[in-house]
Amino acid sequence: MERVPYWNISFGLLIDLLSIPAMAIFVYGLYRHWKRIKQGRSRIRLGIPVSALKIGPLYVRSFLANGIVGTRIYKKLFTGIAHGCLLWGMIILTIGTTLVFLNVLFGLPVFKGDFNRWFMGATLDAAGVAALVGVLFLLMRRVFPPERLTIFKSNSAFITIEVVIAVIIVTGFLVEGVRIAQTGPDPGSFVGNALALLLVNVALPEIHRYLWWIHGLIAISLIAYIPYSPLVHLVLAPINAGLDTPVPGPKMGVIDFEAFEGEGEEVPSLGLSRLADFQWKNLLDASTCLQCGRCHEVCPAAQTGKSLSPKGVMVTLSEYLEQGKMEDDSVLEAISTDAIYSCTTCAACMEACPVSVNQPNAILGMRQHLLMERSEIPDIMGQAHRSLEARHHPFIGTGFGPNDWRKGLEVPIFEKGKTEYLLWIGCSVAYEERTQKITRAMVHILKTAGVSFGILEENRCTGDPAKQMGNEFLFTEIAGQNIEEFNELGVSSVITMCPHCFNSFTRHYPLLGAKFAVIPHAVFIRDLIDKGAIRLSKGTETICYHDPCYLGRHNKVLSEPRQIVDAVGQLVEMPRSGNESFCCGGGGGNYWTEEEGTRINQTRALEALDTEADTIATACPFCMLMLTDGLKKHTEEQKVKDIAELVSSRMEV
Amino acid sequence: MHIVVLAKVVPDYEVPSADFELVGNRAHPRYARMIGLYDENAVELGVQLKEKHAAGLTIVSYGLHEDVQFLRKAIAMGADKIVLVEGTSDDPYVIAANLKEAIDKQGEVDLVLAGRQSSDMDRGVVPGLLAGMLDYPFVPQACSVESVADGWKVAQITETGKRLMKLSGKGVLSITSVPENVPRIPAVKAIFAAKKKPVEKLPEIGARPMGVSEISVSIPKIESVCELIPAEDMDEAARTLFRRLKEERYL
Ligand code: SF4
Ligand code: SF4
Repeated sequence: MERVPYWNISFGLLIDLLSIPAMAIFVYGLYRHWKRIKQGRSRIRLGIPVSALKIGPLYVRSFLANGIVGTRIYKKLFTGIAHGCLLWGMIILTIGTTLVFLNVLFGLPVFKGDFNRWFMGATLDAAGVAALVGVLFLLMRRVFPPERLTIFKSNSAFITIEVVIAVIIVTGFLVEGVRIAQTGPDPGSFVGNALALLLVNVALPEIHRYLWWIHGLIAISLIAYIPYSPLVHLVLAPINAGLDTPVPGPKMGVIDFEAFEGEGEEVPSLGLSRLADFQWKNLLDASTCLQCGRCHEVCPAAQTGKSLSPKGVMVTLSEYLEQGKMEDDSVLEAISTDAIYSCTTCAACMEACPVSVNQPNAILGMRQHLLMERSEIPDIMGQAHRSLEARHHPFIGTGFGPNDWRKGLEVPIFEKGKTEYLLWIGCSVAYEERTQKITRAMVHILKTAGVSFGILEENRCTGDPAKQMGNEFLFTEIAGQNIEEFNELGVSSVITMCPHCFNSFTRHYPLLGAKFAVIPHAVFIRDLIDKGAIRLSKGTETICYHDPCYLGRHNKVLSEPRQIVDAVGQLVEMPRSGNESFCCGGGGGNYWTEEEGTRINQTRALEALDTEADTIATACPFCMLMLTDGLKKHTEEQKVKDIAELVSSRMEV
Repeated sequence: MHIVVLAKVVPDYEVPSADFELVGNRAHPRYARMIGLYDENAVELGVQLKEKHAAGLTIVSYGLHEDVQFLRKAIAMGADKIVLVEGTSDDPYVIAANLKEAIDKQGEVDLVLAGRQSSDMDRGVVPGLLAGMLDYPFVPQACSVESVADGWKVAQITETGKRLMKLSGKGVLSITSVPENVPRIPAVKAIFAAKKKPVEKLPEIGARPMGVSEISVSIPKIESVCELIPAEDMDEAARTLFRRLKEERYL
């Protein structure tokens, strides 16, 4: 017998009519979010140019991958599967309900033949089971939560929602079971048919009627409640993901200070101190945050006892936003200067966040305010900053001059129109005895390979540490000088040894007018090996590779350094590697800091040591210094090497 | 209330000794130039006093026209104007006489602050000479100052601790560095505003130099003799090192 929609129900269409006010409440809720979010203003930032498929402001790939498919959710396998079961189960059930509705209104023949058996019967039942299993798993996890869910704030509204969803699914099945018990089996409805067998003696039409209305009314109410609950992430998360520029990293842009030089131009409040100063994307981030704590779990600062938690930051911002405290500048105190300066800008939080929140962007924006408006900076970082300002390098107390690294070494100076590549020295490979060896190794490689390269006569930093410490102004000044010099020299291709220089040159310099190509040494050396310009003897030593955040997670240079390591020895991976790598602790200017709690570099060094590899390789001078220092706690062996050193020592002449 | 801070622009005082080079008996011009280390502490203290007492704050310097760009940092930190006496002498008497002349031109001045010593010559005599010329009392090695009735309460750092003093009327203080006067990083708005603040340039006055002339300048040779301490473990190494340092009278 063909299934009769609204069987045993009088005025069933009322449910459909009730969905109209429910939708109105739903839309009004979303409008309230939009009104809140759009209060954020962004007056002084330039966009980052990216060429990616877009529909309006929405990046299609990010929208589909992170917003719709939700790839990042599955990084936690069980939670991911449970979430997937619940989400897709509910979506399929909603489609089924809509089809019933269309059948009632327009007679759409959905209850006929194979479609009825396989979709309206089997698929919908399977979706219901999946959703129920999913929601029960998530409910149990809320009842017995891991620390990440409770730290700073536990979003208890999820428990209510999950109970409500479970009730909707269970009542749905019961309605089906009772109906089938009364009307006979439905083809394909394996759950309904089984339940009907169990319910055959209690399957009264009255019970069916009550359950039907309960099921329908709760479902309708839940729809109306979505925007007023954490379930709003169903809508906000895909939008947030779609608006996320598909460039990895915090995407800080640059501030156009020249705009303030004009007559009578008032400098606006710099950085972020009140929600009203935040970009609306920051506010969307805060509204979208699920408070799941995945970011907290991977944050090197949070995990080593610092006062920073990216989740804590989002919780604070969202509370201020909910309370409408747009002009209240106590938000910085609520988060704390210490926390704001503890961020190593590693972007692990962004990588872990299932709803594409950009935590470091907000944190760095607040740091900009602390430094550029309030002159607040931790002591040692402040000294490094002053050194950078006065001497163009932040290596306070260095025993070396800018050219000491090349003593006794013939290094060509870049010549306009003659030299092909500029080997950029910057600061990190020049002012420390240990890192100078990287530079010398790189020169050795380039000379052996016969590359046309040269260095600048006067060595200078890119200004990146200033930017990371929050001084956008100093950064743009230094960058401006560098760009001018590069233009005068006609520099078109630059090789970097420091991922921070690479990141700065490629992300921020173009916004200030730079037009040159930049190649990180990991890629350049890999290409030299591929072209046969250098030949290496592969050894038996085991080498574990530590991914520098600014090369790996920020710029996705993950395979090239591994190919190099593979060419000289046996690659070993640490438990946290690649995109999930753990920071060395030196980023965000934290190379110059007195750490509270456990030291990040010691934690990471131990992780590397635990692989029992003969050598620990990296591709960043800051990582090199941090890991070398961190290792001292565990061993006296000098185990850390840059990939350039590894290659230089294994070159066959 | 009007406070004057003396500031001198010097070559980078942190150039590592191995990299240090002389040209014409002076630091090579390739080194970055900046306001002297202790002078910045004096500027910071001056700014703090200005903020507390709504005082006027003038930076007075003796040096080159090119120094103005570096002195602007003091303005960005909070000073009101720069007075630069253009001159090239290294002689403390000449410098002090020129500074006095410039200070006299500023009208009523209640307090003069200076770094305890310049970061290039490290002599620390100009503030004392200037105090003599101005006929003001002089307190060297001061670390903090407070305005009190008819004068100032000054804390001086001594070898063994801190000494509090009352200074009647005006005075010259040379400032040493303490955590409370770590120079602030100027806010960006202040850097912008500093570009518009006035700079007064004064010509050098002829003044009698000291009866001392320079015969030669040389960079001391640094020799390091490395000695490895034979020890089984860190504890023993530390004990041996400690014993040796005491024997050699370093401790
Ligand atoms: S960027 Fe890194 S250090 Fe900063 S909040 Fe995120 S995970 Fe923590
Ligand atoms: S920012 Fe993202 S990862 Fe962190 S708590 Fe919020 S949703 Fe979770």
